[in-house]
Amino acid sequence: MLKLDNITVTFGGLAALTDVNLNVDNGEFIGLVGPNGAGKTTLFNVISGLVKPTGGSARFDTTDLLRQPVHARARIGIARTFQIPQPLHELTVRQNLVVAQKFGTGRSDARRIDEILDFLGLSEKAERNAVSDLALTEHKALEVGKALATDPKLLLLDEVLAGLETTGKRRFMGTLEHLHEQAGLAIIIIEHDIETISTLCKRAVVLNFGKIIADETPERIFQDPEVIRSYTGEHGA
Amino acid sequence: MRTNAVFPGLIVFVLYLAVPVAVGHIDYVMSLIIAALTIGGIAVAWALLGNLGGMVSFGHAAFFGVGSYVSALLTLDAGWPVFAAMLAGGAGAVIASVVTMPALRLRGPYFALAILAFAHIFRILATELESITHGAGGLLSIPVLPTVAGFDLGTKIGGYYVILTIVLLAMAGYAWLRQSTMGLALLAMHDTEDATRIVGVPSTRLKALMLVVSAFITGVVGAFNAHQINFLDPDYAFSGSWTVLPIVAAIFGGYRTISGPLVGALVIYLVDQLVFKEFLPHGHEIILGALLVAMIVLSPTGLVPLVMRMVTRGRHAQA
Repeated sequence: MLKLDNITVTFGGLAALTDVNLNVDNGEFIGLVGPNGAGKTTLFNVISGLVKPTGGSARFDTTDLLRQPVHARARIGIARTFQIPQPLHELTVRQNLVVAQKFGTGRSDARRIDEILDFLGLSEKAERNAVSDLALTEHKALEVGKALATDPKLLLLDEVLAGLETTGKRRFMGTLEHLHEQAGLAIIIIEHDIETISTLCKRAVVLNFGKIIADETPERIFQDPEVIRSYTGEHGA
Repeated sequence: MRTNAVFPGLIVFVLYLAVPVAVGHIDYVMSLIIAALTIGGIAVAWALLGNLGGMVSFGHAAFFGVGSYVSALLTLDAGWPVFAAMLAGGAGAVIASVVTMPALRLRGPYFALAILAFAHIFRILATELESITHGAGGLLSIPVLPTVAGFDLGTKIGGYYVILTIVLLAMAGYAWLRQSTMGLALLAMHDTEDATRIVGVPSTRLKALMLVVSAFITGVVGAFNAHQINFLDPDYAFSGSWTVLPIVAAIFGGYRTISGPLVGALVIYLVDQLVFKEFLPHGHEIILGALLVAMIVLSPTGLVPLVMRMVTRGRHAQA
């Protein structure tokens, strides 16, 4: 489905990503991990089009991804959330989804919007202001809702579980598992919590200093000495 | 709900019937009202671009001037019927807006200044391209509005009906656009452009579309004005007044509302011409400036929201 070859991103001489190769198949649930500043969000920005790589190539199904503008990537099935939720300003929760559905799919389907609101527990807040009237968990749910409204094949979740209290996090993890199993979505999730990755994902990819240093099952990844060193900040050996 | 439907209907009734009955026989007042509606039309187009496209323009005089020149030249030199030429004037302004589109890459004040520069360029072109535009000497005897079904639109009352209809249609189009899904996306784009692009909104294309719509409305208003006053020269057609007065009107009336720009134009222009000018024949605009400052201090959102707040408060007090 998604194939990244030698993706490189530099910001003013500083390498944010170096020769990143990544293949994602239909229906995979991948954990993207690594210390702060490893390049995880930059990789999401490349896939979603907000950052143009300085080198490499990317395909999504049969499409040359790097030739597609940001808005066109939603139409071909790529959706993402932001680490800091970005509800569409001046709109209600429902209008956020209506805009995402109309422009992301070209269709208007009120029943589908109701389903998404219900699925994410946002029905009661549907007509409320999306910026001022939601709690953190609801903001995170709305991020996922906007992404789902575009009817994606690949969902990129940027620290969508961060900041949630234990119960809210558990409930949200259940929602993500349901999405993966029932809707068959391919999901890549950026997450720091090892236990969460082990619960949700069958595959984990570790980025450190802009390079992929491991791509394995979570169980093996978190026993890898190099991965442990990257987290503890030791650069030797 | 019922009040919402009745009130605009009452306003339209007053505008179409009561105004001509009350002052239709006073040519001077009708001329002032027509001029105020002309400014109101540009103000509506300016506010549409600002509210939906998120762009502040200092150059609507460019679209006004191009619209007026295209329509005047097509009727004078090519024998086009006036109404067809007016639509072509709108199309001419659309082409002018396409020429200015590289400025869409600029943001905030840089866009505003770039558009201002385009307005100057168009004025220079209208002066220098003498073989097409007749140069600095301008155009005389531009055909008046025609007679339709026995009703002479070339009269003050006829002209009033035409510009009133143009402005109300522009407002209806603006209201429809704003409540559409596209309008919602445009509103959201102001503060969260990346988030809207990520869900599939082609932000640059939508902004360009708003520029085109705004230019078309302004061009048609400019074309109407050419056939109303029957004279044009580059300095008049591309005058900065066609930019400044609509901005003042929109801010005074409430640029965030659909009706605010028109209300602002009517109040500002008529009060200025009928009241302030009487007291201070020279420099009466200074009172206008003071009035605008007072409005910004008193109600930064403008006159229409202020009146609506007062009405709501009155209702609550009665209840």
